[in-house]
Amino acid sequence: MVDFIDGAENVSVHGIFNWILLLAIFSIITVVGNYIGYKHPIADSLVGMAMLSLITLCGVWMERELPFNISSIIYISVIGIVLAFPSMPTSGVLLHYVSQVELLSIVTVFLAYVGIGMGKSWNEFKSLGWRAIIVTVLVIASTYLGSAVVAHIILVMTGVPV
Amino acid sequence: MCWAGEGIISNNDNETKEIQHIYRNKTDKRILKKNPWKDYGLHLSVLLLVIIAELIGPIEINLTKGVTVSIMPLLYTMVLGLIFYLAKPIKWIQRKQSRVAEGAMMLFIGVLIAKLAVSSGQSIHLIFEMGPALILQELGHLATIFIALPVALLLGFKRETIGMTNSIGREPEVAVVVDKYGFNSPESRGIFALFIVGTIIGTVFISFLTSICVSVLPLHPYAFAMASGVGSASMNAASLGPTLAAFPSLETSIEAFAGFSNLLSFSIGIYIVIFIALPLTEKLYGFLEPKIGKKDVVNQQGGK
Repeated sequence: MVDFIDGAENVSVHGIFNWILLLAIFSIITVVGNYIGYKHPIADSLVGMAMLSLITLCGVWMERELPFNISSIIYISVIGIVLAFPSMPTSGVLLHYVSQVELLSIVTVFLAYVGIGMGKSWNEFKSLGWRAIIVTVLVIASTYLGSAVVAHIILVMTGVPV
Repeated sequence: MCWAGEGIISNNDNETKEIQHIYRNKTDKRILKKNPWKDYGLHLSVLLLVIIAELIGPIEINLTKGVTVSIMPLLYTMVLGLIFYLAKPIKWIQRKQSRVAEGAMMLFIGVLIAKLAVSSGQSIHLIFEMGPALILQELGHLATIFIALPVALLLGFKRETIGMTNSIGREPEVAVVVDKYGFNSPESRGIFALFIVGTIIGTVFISFLTSICVSVLPLHPYAFAMASGVGSASMNAASLGPTLAAFPSLETSIEAFAGFSNLLSFSIGIYIVIFIALPLTEKLYGFLEPKIGKKDVVNQQGGK
């Protein structure tokens, strides 16, 4: 009986419950920040966050339940892109509410969790020394600039107006 | 040797093949088994940080004429979050909360991606028009090999260089390198170092870098948007802040490109690392190491 209770189905139901609660907490914090920072109406941005959370939940669920080795990030991107297609019946409602949530409001909350989460790596970071820091800074800067410069050249070559 | 973030170690001891699964394992371990929403202290602290950050708002600093660095609320929350963890008097944010935050963060990436995806869907015609630039900018990432690799050699790194300089070194690339060279290889040590330093300073650094670049370099706004997708989701976000602030009228298209560029980094970026970046790094290492390589700094000091 114990094995049965601890079985896979129960864990996944339990998991979904946890995901929903976490996403609800995240949504509430984001909406508060969104209201303070950008003065978007609370009710509309809550609906927007609920929609984004639902897309996330679908993607996360599909990653675990479907038999393909595909990251949830890709599922979420595809669902979001398809639902927002200009010709889709869902796009009007979705865009209205989602546009009430500023990207930067989401990012601000997200990075607070990132900051707390990166605390664990602090000691390892301190032990790495200045050489590793120099190389890392160079890697990030050259990757970013390489990407920007190539993109710029191709954009200019294909005649995209600024 | 405590080299890597424990997340990588614990998930990759035996199974290094499942490249995409790092996120999933981490999230599941921390979300499925515990009740992370019960950590009131953690979530209330985040709420507090967000309120403080949004009340302060963005700050613009004029470095010299025409060069402006903007510091966004997103940087305050991240740095304050780290300070909350490190500060001794704050007892309710400890290692356990840090783990919960990391697991929760993996889920919250989804919301961020969903928002970017909605912008991408809305501007799907732009994505098709700019397709060539979007795909080819992925090759621009290879610039790191030619710039960072010689410097790493001059600083005295040996085969660590191959792991450190082949790519920006976030989770998918770490998995590729560990898979190819083995967990205890110098190449893996290199990318673990890159991963950890990138985790701590990468987000802050790319935000300042973008801030300076948008005010100094006369590149296309879309080029900055595409470049913001080079690293992890948090780097993407931190880089988008100053880009959006610099081109407020192009908000939706910038979000669209950033989202798509991040999607591409995730889907085809890995294959570029496997088939182009790593072989190229090896070639260049073989060519340059005998010429400019220094004394092995890692073994000499028994660590770094």
